[in-house]
Amino acid sequence: MPSEKDNDDVVRVDFAFRRELAEKVEGNLASFCYQCGACVGDCPATTYSSEFNPREIMLKVLYGLGDELIGGDSILWQCVNCYNCHERCPQEVKPVEVIISLKNMMADRGIYPPAVKKIIHTFETTGRTVPLSDAINRKREKLGLPPLEPVPMDEIEKLFEPLEEEGEE
Amino acid sequence: MKRFAFFPGCLIPTMHPSMEYAIRQSLPRLGIEIVDLDGASCCPDPIYFKSKDKLSWLAVAARNLSLAEDLGLDVITNCSGCTATLSETVHLLQDEELRKKINRRLARIGRKYKGKTRVRHIATLVRDEAGYDAISESVVRPLEGLKVAIHYGCHLLKPSSIMQVDNPDDPEVLERMVTALGATPVRHRNWYLCCGKACQTEEIPANMMHDLLRTVDAENAEILGMICPTCFSQFDYGQMKISKMFEESFGVPPVYYFQLLAYAQGEPYDKLGFDRQRFKPECLKRFEES
Ligand code: SF4
Ligand code: SF4
Repeated sequence: MPSEKDNDDVVRVDFAFRRELAEKVEGNLASFCYQCGACVGDCPATTYSSEFNPREIMLKVLYGLGDELIGGDSILWQCVNCYNCHERCPQEVKPVEVIISLKNMMADRGIYPPAVKKIIHTFETTGRTVPLSDAINRKREKLGLPPLEPVPMDEIEKLFEPLEEEGEE
Repeated sequence: MKRFAFFPGCLIPTMHPSMEYAIRQSLPRLGIEIVDLDGASCCPDPIYFKSKDKLSWLAVAARNLSLAEDLGLDVITNCSGCTATLSETVHLLQDEELRKKINRRLARIGRKYKGKTRVRHIATLVRDEAGYDAISESVVRPLEGLKVAIHYGCHLLKPSSIMQVDNPDDPEVLERMVTALGATPVRHRNWYLCCGKACQTEEIPANMMHDLLRTVDAENAEILGMICPTCFSQFDYGQMKISKMFEESFGVPPVYYFQLLAYAQGEPYDKLGFDRQRFKPECLKRFEES
């Protein structure tokens, strides 16, 4: 891979990418990865897909190979979020959290799978992943359940903005 | 009665209200009182919104927790996803700097997260506050001979350092809760596989569910015992898809544990919404007659 090595065989690490990732919550944890592969054996995405391997993803993070990780058809969305890697890693790298931080970087660039974008939009506009409807409340009434009230979106929206003084994002 | 702030989340109250009905019927019989948590939003979900922006995800989750703090109550959850989000938030916000950051956002709406509330999934709550014997004692219709394939899913148990529910490699909580109903839990060979819902490709979840359903069938389980509404939908709608894709016929009805509990406590079959499922647990009706 030409992006990994210069012709003098020295690895060039893209620190700009790593610094951006480290800004995300738990995005810096990959630095503790010593490539043992304990996260691989129990990873269902690895079992069922030849492309996906959490150890390799951590290695690419260490090298700063952002182009191979984040993009339109990123393999990161193959992760099933099972947390087995989190369970197994002796270094507390939490590969799944690093993967989610990488997804945050994709989101900053406006890249999402369409199905994911839709659910996020529903949450950001209604405060729920399933929007309320009269039909839902009628069904609830029949069961004697209290009606669902709209989520106070004025409050929720105010929580989305980054803090200026912290220079977030 | 012990009181808890009920955080029903998004899926159960909207898509599966009969699960909520079963919870509201069965918990008081175990000495647990449900207090509604007004003004709560989506937890937010640990798959989609978390993937957009972890800080905003934490801020919204901390707001939900602060509502329970106002009531001075611990939170109970009925969905593994909500449990994961809220438990992880409690865990991460033990870090003082991160908590300050989140509290600066909460200050915009006059709220503060203090870190005083515990998050407990109703399964563990029932285990720890009522106990397996109390479940048995509440049963009026023992489900003797019913073979239940246990499906733990992911976020009830993992990450174990944060969830602190049970040993994720050899858990027992659901087995014992099913046994307390008089039924027989079955641990099939692929019990540790998951529903695959979070994955955004077709093949990985399909192949994984196919492997899982084959071992469920091999054990002749009559129902799948579920604890998470997301897993439930994957197995209810999903089994039809898998049957078609692999040209095999699968059809073990999934049943949410608290519906099974309410049924064993005497709630009529017709009131528990089983008829709305793709795969209906009609095998349960034999206990109604006796
Ligand atoms: S288990 Fe942890 S240290 Fe080992 S390769 Fe995976 S992430 Fe790296
Ligand atoms: S959380 Fe993702 S990376 Fe980790 S083991 Fe599960 S599928 Fe693999």
